[in-house]
Amino acid sequence: MKLRSVLLRFASGLIPISTLIANAQTTPQDLVLKNATVMTASHGTIEHGSVWVHAGKIAEVGTTVNAPSSAVVVDATGKWLTPGIIDPHSHSALDSDVNEATSPVTPSMMMVDAFDNRDKALYQALAGGVTTELLLHGSANMIGGQAVVIKNKFGLSRDAMIFPNAPRSIKFASGENPKRVYGSRNQLPSTRMGNFEVMRQSFENAKVYMASWDAYNAKVAKKDKDAVAPKVDLKLEALADVLRGKLFVQIHCYRADEFLTEEAIAHEYGYKIRAFHHALEMYKVAGQIAPENTAIATFSDWWGYKDEAWDAIPWNAVMSMRKGVRVALKSDSNDHIRRLNSEAGKMVHYGGATEDEAIRMVTLNPAWIIGVDDRVGSIDAGKDADLVIWNVDPLSIYARAEKVYIDGDLFFDSSAPGFGTPHFNGAMHDAGGFGSDDSEDGD
Amino acid sequence: MNNLKVASLLLLPAMFAVAQMKTAAAPKPNGTIAITGGKLLTVSHGTIENGVLIIANGKITAVGAADKVSVPSDATVVDARGMTVYPGLIDPDSTLGLTEVGSDQNSNDLSEPSDEIMPHMHVADAFHGETELIPVARLNGVTNAVVAPGTEDSVAGQDIFIQLAGRDREAMILGRDVALAMNYGAEQRRRGGRGGARGEFPSTRMGLITQLRQNLLDAQHYEASRDAAEKKKDKAADKEANKGSDKDADKSSDKGTDKGSDKPFERDLKMEALLPYLHGQRPVVIGVYESYDIETIMKVAQEFHLKVILNHVTHSQEILDEIAAWKVPVIVGPIYDFPRANERFDAVYTLPAELAKRGVKIAISSAEAGGPGGAHSVRNLPYAAGFAAAYGLPYDEALKAITLNVAEMFGYGDKLGSLDVGKTANVVIANGDPLDVRTDVKQVYIDGVAQPMVSRQTRLRDEYSQ
Repeated sequence: MKLRSVLLRFASGLIPISTLIANAQTTPQDLVLKNATVMTASHGTIEHGSVWVHAGKIAEVGTTVNAPSSAVVVDATGKWLTPGIIDPHSHSALDSDVNEATSPVTPSMMMVDAFDNRDKALYQALAGGVTTELLLHGSANMIGGQAVVIKNKFGLSRDAMIFPNAPRSIKFASGENPKRVYGSRNQLPSTRMGNFEVMRQSFENAKVYMASWDAYNAKVAKKDKDAVAPKVDLKLEALADVLRGKLFVQIHCYRADEFLTEEAIAHEYGYKIRAFHHALEMYKVAGQIAPENTAIATFSDWWGYKDEAWDAIPWNAVMSMRKGVRVALKSDSNDHIRRLNSEAGKMVHYGGATEDEAIRMVTLNPAWIIGVDDRVGSIDAGKDADLVIWNVDPLSIYARAEKVYIDGDLFFDSSAPGFGTPHFNGAMHDAGGFGSDDSEDGD
Repeated sequence: MNNLKVASLLLLPAMFAVAQMKTAAAPKPNGTIAITGGKLLTVSHGTIENGVLIIANGKITAVGAADKVSVPSDATVVDARGMTVYPGLIDPDSTLGLTEVGSDQNSNDLSEPSDEIMPHMHVADAFHGETELIPVARLNGVTNAVVAPGTEDSVAGQDIFIQLAGRDREAMILGRDVALAMNYGAEQRRRGGRGGARGEFPSTRMGLITQLRQNLLDAQHYEASRDAAEKKKDKAADKEANKGSDKDADKSSDKGTDKGSDKPFERDLKMEALLPYLHGQRPVVIGVYESYDIETIMKVAQEFHLKVILNHVTHSQEILDEIAAWKVPVIVGPIYDFPRANERFDAVYTLPAELAKRGVKIAISSAEAGGPGGAHSVRNLPYAAGFAAAYGLPYDEALKAITLNVAEMFGYGDKLGSLDVGKTANVVIANGDPLDVRTDVKQVYIDGVAQPMVSRQTRLRDEYSQ
């Protein structure tokens, strides 16, 4: 009897061990994805190309690779291979806590505090090939909160899904949303005049705050023992970080005139704008914005849901790109995030983007906007092995993501039963909503 | 022969505009057009490589292989070599002409919120033919659409069937009151508020169904009373005619009449609007999402012998066989609707395929799940069908679901939806697969007239391209 119970215990103990082995098999030291049409996003398309992944990084890409014979080989003959899709504008997995709409200036809100790593929206995006997302504050406030960058390692812990050492981004917004939110309460701002004055005043406050710290630090440097440190103010500290250039500024903004105003304010206060989001009228002033090195994260073809989206045209992305603006497509939607690849395909139709240019709009260019383009966004040696195997050309409407790897580990496999998620088999959360901050405005 | 080379003319944007002006002017509205050399997707009888399609007087007069169809000598020849030619697409569920700017209430005429039961709302009365949204949709090959009211009300009003071209509203509306738009589910508007917080009926789905059933019963009663009054009036009229010959009989009849009979029968437009649907003369389109809601509303529909087209059914995975057994057509979508938590990611993507597999006649709409979507996204109709094909729906069925099937569901199967002799010449020429996002539509014909390939958006594009 005793022996049996020991055996039983041993047998039950085997289960986690075998699971470990199974997991180990999904993260081999060396992995080769072999003989696919490889869209690198950085240096063209390689027919019959292979990618060697070593310890979660891309070791080599080419028609042949020098992987050790011990490497696990995945035959991708007839398939397409791309970098993981990157969404530079999502409000997924925040359990609907998108806007701290109690003040037009809330720069110390940290989106990571609202992140729910078991939201079904993450899984559905993963199944569409999305490996990295920038989860942004909403657009109710002129100066919203600070974003969190995630890797879509669905099934891992919350901390394990945070993109390690990604730059910090902050969300600004202008136009109709802040106007409406605060105007409807008879508060400042209720006009675009009010919008921008709120920003200027905030930076003036930040400058005073920075000066008080500079004065204190100067006293400390002079060994002044009576020096009293100013109060640490999270809000002003965050604004100061904008002025110190420590935060990537991501601005929700639609109209041509507003891009110009935003750039002028950025010049006035000495910070850079990383990207305009939505940016549906960029085609009107792309030539003026291109020298600023500000990118755009835009929709492929949404339009007409509000006044400031009335002049939106689906040629915006390609026209702006041709004028020298770095262009990414983004979802701002739990729906579109699942099919950003075919949204990129539309750019072949609207303006004649090459397939190379189109795929870059959902990989390398959004990676640049987030500030992680040195680590993800293309298939190059040394980069994270975030890779997607597609059944057909990913820019086609018929494309399905078959396998999604993140850091060389298989996180989605459409041929697997159930969810197709090797790392997840629990219960998902349903945050409801469309994950779209802006679609709500259309209602 | 006036040889218009669609393919070569469209290479340069500058020439594009010239070509368009020429195309718009050259084929006279009722002139003969021969589209030659293209791959014809007939929808009704397969694909014809190197086909010829002849259009005369706004109708298709010949379709076939190049060696079987002769080109009339007076025809304007459109060279469609390397192109795909297919029937104009039909959106089964749009709000075109009822909205302009989504957030601007003054430009929206979608829903009448004063009551849940509004069958007497006629989309035809609000339809704004000059909307900027129609040319945008037309540019991607959509030539016809059902226009339905917004979905807030249990009975929202009566749909129209339009073509996306015409001088004015009258020319664009092919059919008024072609279907009754109904909706049922958790999201339906209830004046009582959910849970009865406002103390008014209805506030629950039970309330909504009871209210609907009562209204349908009231309509039946209304019809009976109206017919009875009608009969009486006829009798009275007969008597009046016989007055001179039989005075006594007239007197006796006067005695027997009710007091109120002199009053004209008062029409009730709301009740009257329900009658064609209670007689099964026209379809009701029921928008409903969840399995249990579908079963509930179908019980009511069957009780009143309504001719049902189901719409949405995106969370009906458990009852697909049941739906097939009802033998009702289904508008599936949005195909992009979200699976419930803990369902596989493709639970909704595969629905068109699963329904078609069971023999259900399906249509696919342009509806999107997360985002503004609506009438502004009608141009994405072919992609929804393509997406269904990506997830198992046979290609031919996918194309049919946005052409012939829609036409048949709404009573236009003999006029639209396929490339067949005798049908209205709503024809599209594109440079590739009509369901793929990378394909460019080169020319759209409606009623045999080459439509100018411009919209407010192309004008903005051209203005800022200089």
